[in-house]
This record gives sequence, C-alpha cells and structure tokens, in this order.
Amino acid sequence: MRIETVVTGLGTIGPYGFGREALAKALASGKPVASEVDRGTGWHREGGSRLAALIRERDLSRWIPPAAARRMSFPSKLAVAAGKMALPDAGIETVATEGGRVGVYLATAFGPVHNTEKLLRQIFLEGAEAAQPFYFSECVANTPAAQLAIAVGARGPNVTIVQRESGPLLAVGRGAQAVREGRVDRALAGAVEEIPPLLHALLGRFGALAHEEEKLAENPRPFDRRRNGILAGEGASLLVLEREDAALARGARILARVKWSGGAFDATAGVTDWGEGHDALAGALRAGLQTAGGIAGVSAVVSGASGAKRGDLLEARVLKAVWGDLPLPPVMTPKAVTGEYGGGTLAAGLLALEGAALAPLPEPPEIDPEIGFAQHRGAAPENRARVLLTGLASGGAAAWLLLERAS
Amino acid sequence: MPRVDRAPPSPRTVVVSGLGAVTPFGWDTSSTWNGLRSGKTAIGPFDRFDHSGYRTHVAAQVDLAHAAPRPRGKPARISLADRYAVCAAREALSQAGLGGGDWTRRAGVFFGSSTGGMLENERYFEALLAAEGGPKRRLPPMSILAPQQYNAPGDAVARALGIGGPVQTVSAACASGAMAIGDALRAVRSGEVDTAIAGGSDSLCRLTYAGFNALRSVDERPCRPFRKDRAGLSIGEGAGVIVLEPLERVLARGARPLALAAGEAATCDAFHMTAPHPQGAGAAEAIRAALVDAQLDPGDIDFVNAHGTGTPLNDLAECEALASVFGERARQLPVTSTKSLVGHLLGSAGAVEAVATVLCLIAGEVHPMPAEGESDPAIGVQLVLGSPVKLERARHALSTSLAFGGANAALIFSRPPRRNDRDAD
Repeated sequence: MRIETVVTGLGTIGPYGFGREALAKALASGKPVASEVDRGTGWHREGGSRLAALIRERDLSRWIPPAAARRMSFPSKLAVAAGKMALPDAGIETVATEGGRVGVYLATAFGPVHNTEKLLRQIFLEGAEAAQPFYFSECVANTPAAQLAIAVGARGPNVTIVQRESGPLLAVGRGAQAVREGRVDRALAGAVEEIPPLLHALLGRFGALAHEEEKLAENPRPFDRRRNGILAGEGASLLVLEREDAALARGARILARVKWSGGAFDATAGVTDWGEGHDALAGALRAGLQTAGGIAGVSAVVSGASGAKRGDLLEARVLKAVWGDLPLPPVMTPKAVTGEYGGGTLAAGLLALEGAALAPLPEPPEIDPEIGFAQHRGAAPENRARVLLTGLASGGAAAWLLLERAS
Repeated sequence: MPRVDRAPPSPRTVVVSGLGAVTPFGWDTSSTWNGLRSGKTAIGPFDRFDHSGYRTHVAAQVDLAHAAPRPRGKPARISLADRYAVCAAREALSQAGLGGGDWTRRAGVFFGSSTGGMLENERYFEALLAAEGGPKRRLPPMSILAPQQYNAPGDAVARALGIGGPVQTVSAACASGAMAIGDALRAVRSGEVDTAIAGGSDSLCRLTYAGFNALRSVDERPCRPFRKDRAGLSIGEGAGVIVLEPLERVLARGARPLALAAGEAATCDAFHMTAPHPQGAGAAEAIRAALVDAQLDPGDIDFVNAHGTGTPLNDLAECEALASVFGERARQLPVTSTKSLVGHLLGSAGAVEAVATVLCLIAGEVHPMPAEGESDPAIGVQLVLGSPVKLERARHALSTSLAFGGANAALIFSRPPRRNDRDAD
C-alpha cells in the first residue's frame, strides 16, 4: 500500500501580514502587496523599480522572545515564526519530545543576504578584523533552517535547498519523500526570503524587476503581453508534512495530499536566464504527472509565473505542450500579488485547494500572442481536486508539486 | 558492542561508478590521491586574495597555474567554484564511461555549496564600495555579479553535461556536499533518476576567511585535527564529484563499480548555531541511522574518514559520537581527517572526503594525516598518522560531516565483493 504524505499545517508571513487569512484576503484583492523600497543606498537605477513586496509588520514577538530574536537574522526570525505558526495550525503543540523524527526542509534563493552585505562592508571598509561573528554566523544560507530546528527541537535532517525559483517546490518534495520513506515522521518544509534595499537595487540593475514604462504603472503582470519584470518579494511559508495514517490517527485536519513532486533541468538556459527547452521540460512533467494519474485530474495550475519575460514564456510553452490539444485548466499566478517569493506560491497553492480566489491585477489583461492565454481571474474552480504548482528557475532548474484535496 | 535495528532492504543497489576531484593537490583524483597518501599537508601560504589584514595567513588553495581548461561560456560568468565543479564532474563521468547516448535525460545533479561564486561577488562588491565614496554609478558589469549564487556550481555542471533530470543544490554549510550525495543516493534508489552526478564545490573567499577568523576558529598554522595542540581549522577549496548508478546499469555496460553507496543519514543537533553538541549526540544519531540505512552493524565499519576540522570542541564532540556508536572499539578504529591535508573545503568538504573514502577502499589503505602535533589523551580514537595504514580487507567505511547550525551527515561506502572475500571472512 502506498504511504501518502499529507499537509496538515501552514504558517505564512509575508507583505500580506500573518497567517492564511491575511494571504487569502490579499489574493482576493488582486492587488500587489507592494510598497516603496528604501533607495537610500543610491544604487537604484533612475527610472527603475521603486517597489517590492516587503514585510512592514516586523513584530514577531508572538513567536520569538526578544532575547532569542536579537541573535537572529531577519530570515531566521521569519522561518522560526512561520514554523511556530504552522505547528499549532496542524494541531501540534510541540515536536521537541519526538524531535529526532522531525526534519526541516527549507528553500532560499539568497539566504540572509542583508547580513552578508553588512559583513562584507565591515571587511572591506573597516578591515577583516572588524568582522562581527554575529554577521558571519547569521549570513550562512542554512541559518534560518538551523534556527528553526533549535526553536522547535527538530533533530531530524536539516536541509537547506538553494535553487532559486524552483527551491520551494524541491524543498517540499524532499520533505514529502523523507516522510514517505519513513526517515522522519514529520517535516517542516517551505521557503524563506528577504529583500534588503541593495539586493533590490542590484536586481533592478540586472533588469529583472517590473518598472514603470510610459503610462504603464509598475506592476508584475504574469503572462501579460506588457510584462516587464518581477515584483521582488519576501516572506516565509512553512508546511507541516506527515503520513496520512498518522495524521488521521490523531484526528488532524488534512489540508492536502502530496501526490507527486519532480524536477528537471533545461540545459539550454543561460546562467541567469530561462532557456527554450520547453519540449524536454514538458516531457519530464508529462511523465511525472502520468505516475499520478495524468493531466485529466489537474483542475488548476498555481503557476510560478512572475512577470519575467522569458520565464513566463517558457512556463506557458511547457504547460501548452503538456496539455496539447486539451484545454488548459485555470492558471493562477499568486506572484502577481505576493511578489517573487516562492513561499507565497506554496501557501497560495494550498489556499487554492480550499477554494480561495486568486484574482489578478485590477486591469484588463492583454494576451501575449506567444503565450495565448491570460492568468486566471476569480475563484478557484469548483472541481478543485488537484492543483499543480510550478517553479521554473532562471538558470535552468524546474520543479513541480501536485497537491490533492483531501475529501 | 552497541547494535542497531536493521531497516528493510533497499529496492536498488547503488554503486559509485566514477570519481572526480579538484583539490589543492591537483586537478584530478590521481594527484589528489598521491597527495593524500603522502601525508604532507597542502595547507600553507596562499595568494588567492590579499590577506595581509587578517589574523591568520594560511589556507589550502588550488594551483591555478595548472588549471584544466575553462568550460564554455563567457569568462565572467564562470566562477572558480564553477570551474572546479565542472572539471571534477567531467573526470567522474569519464571514469564511469558515460559519454554519448541519452543517459542525461534520466540523470540528475545533486550538489552542495556554501558560498558558490562568493569570491567573484566580493570583487564586484569591493568595486561597488569604492564607487560609493567617489563619483557614483561606475560599476563593473552586472554580468560578473548576477550568476554567482549558491546554486551556480551545480547548475554549471548540469549545463555542461546537458542534464535533463532534477537539479538540486543543498547549502548546509560544511555538510552540504555529504547531504547532496545522500539525496542523490535516495534519488537513484527510488528510481527518480538512473544516474546521479553528486558532489560539491567551493572556492576560497574573504567572507568565510574573515568570518571563521572572527569566530576565532582558524588556526595560525596548518590545522592539526585531533591533536592536543589543535587550535582551529584551515580553509581550503576545491570540488569532489561522484557518479551514482544502480549496480545493474553499471555492469550492463561493462563498467566497474568502484564502491557501493551503502547508506546515508542526516540529523540536526538543534543545540547551538556555532558549537557542536558536547556529547556529539546529533552526530552519533546520524552515524547510527546511516548504519541502519546500510544494513550494517557498528562492528562492520573498518575505518572512519572523520569530519575532523581541528577545532578543539568539534574534534572532541566527534570522538564522543564515535565512542557512543562504536563503544570500546572506537579506540582501535582507524580514523583519518582529509582536512588535515587539503583544509576545510566547506560546502565541498563532504564530497571530497567521500571521494577520499572511496579511494581508500579501492586502494585497501587509509590515507594518513600529517604526523606533526602532540597526542591528546582526551581523543579516544586510533589516528592514522604519517604514512598510510594498509587495510586490504577493509569492506566498509564511514565518512562524517558535521556542520555549522548543528547539521550532521554520515555516508557509508562499501567495497564491492571480491572473489577472495569468502576466504577472508
């Protein structure tokens, strides 16, 4: 008998606020949760992006005592808070007593990059001996996962996956695999990201960010003909994963089943770009979905499309190649609201299964002829048995996650 | 002797079919093995960057004068860590006999890195800071900065080889490479991929050099793991790559399995960000779980390639972990530390040490550590010092990686059975 991995809890923090209700409200509004970025570094390009999906409410003392928080980077705090939010959401008071059977699988693209910047400033401006140990110990990519493990007493595998936009889905996939294979009883899996001003400025200089163009406001427009970049975003989302039989035995509410996860690579991609290997990626996705019952049962796609010109085009081509002559299911694009932060897509995928509306920007879409469809507007479909989450990373990596609604 | 519960048999026997390495001893496994056998450390003066303002002045750097050719791509977009990774991967593939054909479609890359292209990032950042003080906006091209992320070495390998399967980079500090190999083993076992290119790559950079110095974790002299006068680690650079495949595929194409990838496990101390659990509880759990995964008992392990950084606390905690798992036998179990010779390769340490462990199994001997240093009565293991120890009948070896943030990983490799093993047993 196949052992099923299920999601029983969700903790999410983002520019939309704390928790699933705040995220659902933001998604329903359809408006990007963007705010002005501090451009005091002086490195923002003239006429470039001014906005990011930033967390404005930074008081996390409900989850982290101040004495502990002062020893953490912002991403560490976000990960700990989201993890501590997810456990009670799953009806779990503590995992410390069973900590050896609890793993952490966390994705991040940039890690605690603000501390990296601070440490490098010390090294280059004040000299190497001025480097503060705190900035070093809290700039390493795996510190958010380690701080979360310490905070909740999770002594199982502690894995940080750094695979840009595909990382969050890979992290959940690895966590689900560990549960299924019996290496852990529970996993906290998800993603964390921060967007400090200098990173935002550099992403803008790289041409990655949405920006004002003539009469067009600065907005991410996934799949839209006028899209000109992403809305950088920050936040943390953690899912609680466990075996379905164990969850049922303790009377837990099941949010979703992890039916399949997989990945592939597009070797035609440049180091910072998306490639044109949609046929190969589509082949991998099709084969993976086939092991879980095929495309017929997929009632919606919660896409990682973000407004990136070539990224969205590749995503569209992959989906169209997989569905072929069949009509595509509704394709939802939560990054239009949460910004480019994979944890938002993860959490939105769960909410879509519950029927949450994921409205797009409050402006009429313009179909990109190369894409041929627009992001879905309005509520999730009535028949939302299965949702496919997608994450195509610049650089070539791709990951997918198929979630099934628990009836 | 403590025993462990056995796990159900694995569906697929996974073997190592190729090895690749770039280390301070050279740009291939042959020069690396010769260096390891010599017992003479590659740690010493270095010139990768100006370290005159730093507290310490030794590291183990790869000799760029004898570098392998650059992979294709714009030079600015290929970091040093990428070059190490691609070079080691090509060597491993060549040994595995994987050339043309469509094997890449069902192949994945599982890589570890702690800093990716940080060395190149630093050059960009230095220029940015210099510009902040003067007339602004004259920055180096973004193409230098943008590709240098944690995932860049693994992506570079996948791109260079035309991989079509999953690509995943783990960044779990000093356990990254070992964890990546562990994930690769799971992926081959489960049938997710038929071939896994697994390993890690990191280059020297100022961030880690200054950071570990700030923690007062760097020895002013070449590191002396497990010795009484040990005073910290020495940082190194390089890459290690192994090719993992199901045994039947390797045999079917007439290739030679170099070792069985027998078991893996990972745990977390959940104790402290920078200090190990004093009794090595998390490390011991990782070793026990790897033994279960490998269907072995502690008594089956013939030698240990330890994490062995040379920091006072880590080495002590690791010995506690070994004593906890192996009991009294820990005192007779040969233990070596590859870091004593090539330095601490951070995100690639676990990968290079996995390569070293397999090379030891193939050669039937354990590479030594330098003989320098005083013996420490608190260290209750049998160190291999000065010259290699012959272990021709060694069947199973353990490699441990214990990282920053309390992340632990253990890998077990086994020598493929030989015709005379029946007599030996």
